[in-house]
Amino acid sequence: MCMSIPLYGFLEGDTLGLLVLAEEGETVLELARKLQDAASIRVARNDKIDFVYNGKAIDPGLTVAQAGLQELDRFDVIWRDKL
Amino acid sequence: MLSREEWLPLARKLDWDYTYVREDEVFPQVISGHPWLPHAEWKEWEESFKTSYREYVDNQYEKDMAVYAVRDAVGRLENIQKLAAPWMNSLKVHAAALPLAEFTGVIGSLRGARFGRDSAWRTMSTFGALDEYRHTQIPLLLFHQLVRWDSQFDWAHKFYHTNNWFAVASRHFFDELTLGQNAIEFAIGANFVLETGFTNLQFVGLASLARESSDHMFERMVTSIQTDEARHAQIGHPVLAVVMKHDPEYVQYLLDKWFWRSWRLFSILTGLSTDYLTALDQRPYSFKEFMEEWIIDQFLRTLDEFGLKKPWYWGIFEDELDIYHHMIYASAYTYRATLWFDFVLPSPAERKWLRQKYPKYWDDMDAVWEQVIERWRTVGPGAANERAVHGTAMPTFCDLCQLPLSAGTPRKNTANVLATEGRKYIFCSEPCRWIFLREPERYANHKDLVKRVLSGEAPAQLPNLLTEYFRLTPDTWGSDVYHGAYDWLAAQKTSVA
Repeated sequence: MCMSIPLYGFLEGDTLGLLVLAEEGETVLELARKLQDAASIRVARNDKIDFVYNGKAIDPGLTVAQAGLQELDRFDVIWRDKL
Repeated sequence: MLSREEWLPLARKLDWDYTYVREDEVFPQVISGHPWLPHAEWKEWEESFKTSYREYVDNQYEKDMAVYAVRDAVGRLENIQKLAAPWMNSLKVHAAALPLAEFTGVIGSLRGARFGRDSAWRTMSTFGALDEYRHTQIPLLLFHQLVRWDSQFDWAHKFYHTNNWFAVASRHFFDELTLGQNAIEFAIGANFVLETGFTNLQFVGLASLARESSDHMFERMVTSIQTDEARHAQIGHPVLAVVMKHDPEYVQYLLDKWFWRSWRLFSILTGLSTDYLTALDQRPYSFKEFMEEWIIDQFLRTLDEFGLKKPWYWGIFEDELDIYHHMIYASAYTYRATLWFDFVLPSPAERKWLRQKYPKYWDDMDAVWEQVIERWRTVGPGAANERAVHGTAMPTFCDLCQLPLSAGTPRKNTANVLATEGRKYIFCSEPCRWIFLREPERYANHKDLVKRVLSGEAPAQLPNLLTEYFRLTPDTWGSDVYHGAYDWLAAQKTSVA
């Protein structure tokens, strides 16, 4: 059974952090898209993005569980190749 | 009969040696404050106003009569209805945030009136408590007449009794600063930092904004309040001077903590009013210019006077002058239904003005507004389309200031997570984290709004959160003042088409 994990998501270009509920089995790319959708009223969609956790870009194909994201962690979605 | 000059010094400085109890039992440190010092250390405590009770009452009576006279002349409903719609919402912000916060000031001042360490301090605090009653009652009286016309003004009474996110943040601040504070920290945090540093001058600035907006009722009200603030704020200086002799590091800590905490609320209240809720042709200055001219210069001079240093985060603070209230306003606009007042979109002319006043980060803020405006263009104007131009995800909040995680810049939000004692906390900024870590026992058990939602204490669905927890209704929650029907937006659409 997949568990929902509440996370603090920060999208580059946005003015505040949002609470995002992640599923353990979804990929971090899907999670990034979820954050982009939630912030779309303020930030235009950008397909060239990186998912950053603990200061490192994460392989977009990894699942939330594989990336090691824990409840109430912060993740960032930034414009690609900034790191 | 003694003359005033003979009896007043006797009455103001009426201290004596205790014989039946110890001095530290009359003034316990837990409520009189740190450092605990014998009265001999406080006996030179002095302030310059030296007002008698009779003079105080006579003076306040005259000030009240002046307020009533202005109310009768220009404060009637028909006068208020003529004010510009954006400014009306600045009034609603202050109508809610001001009166009951001032009432907590009554409690804090009364603590000084009983547990202040010198009789002149206690006398001055008694007047301060009476002042704060006045600052509660006047706005409640003036705004009450507007409730029958616009029920958002009902938040003058209601605000602090709700769990609205801004009320949670404001209560977190005032509970600590005024309701639950010892006499020394209240004198330094409230009288010295908040009142001398911010609100005394804020009221001067607000009066100026109100005058430019032709709101003579509000101008008179805040001017009248400011004259009280200027007097009782003077309690802070002599208290600080004594504590500086014995524990300067503690004074520096209180100063650093309360300047940051005051800045957070102040930047929202005054920043939004100055740069967004005042019509462009009526803005006498930008919020940053106001801060630099009225707050910062005076504050730094006062620090020098007492041998204090700038707060360690001064660089962060200076950077925030360019961006923090803009981040908050854009966030709040897109979550306007979570608040009790209405918002306006900045027009092209206003965005040009904002770019000129805030060149450092405006490109990033402008991109946000362009996106919001594009959404209005797509869905079209109208009250029915408000929800399509509104955030739906749960916003997040700082575990210290309880305000949205909107610090830093759009490029780099400065929120940071702390894991300690088996729990996780998140802070909007380094100063908020630092304040938390200095006194974790004071703050650790307070749940921010996200933790309340996750624990089931507050509803998770935004509409339920607004109505059941924030106590808003579709009639009173915030919307765009014009529901997206701006002439300039229609003109742009036409020209694009």
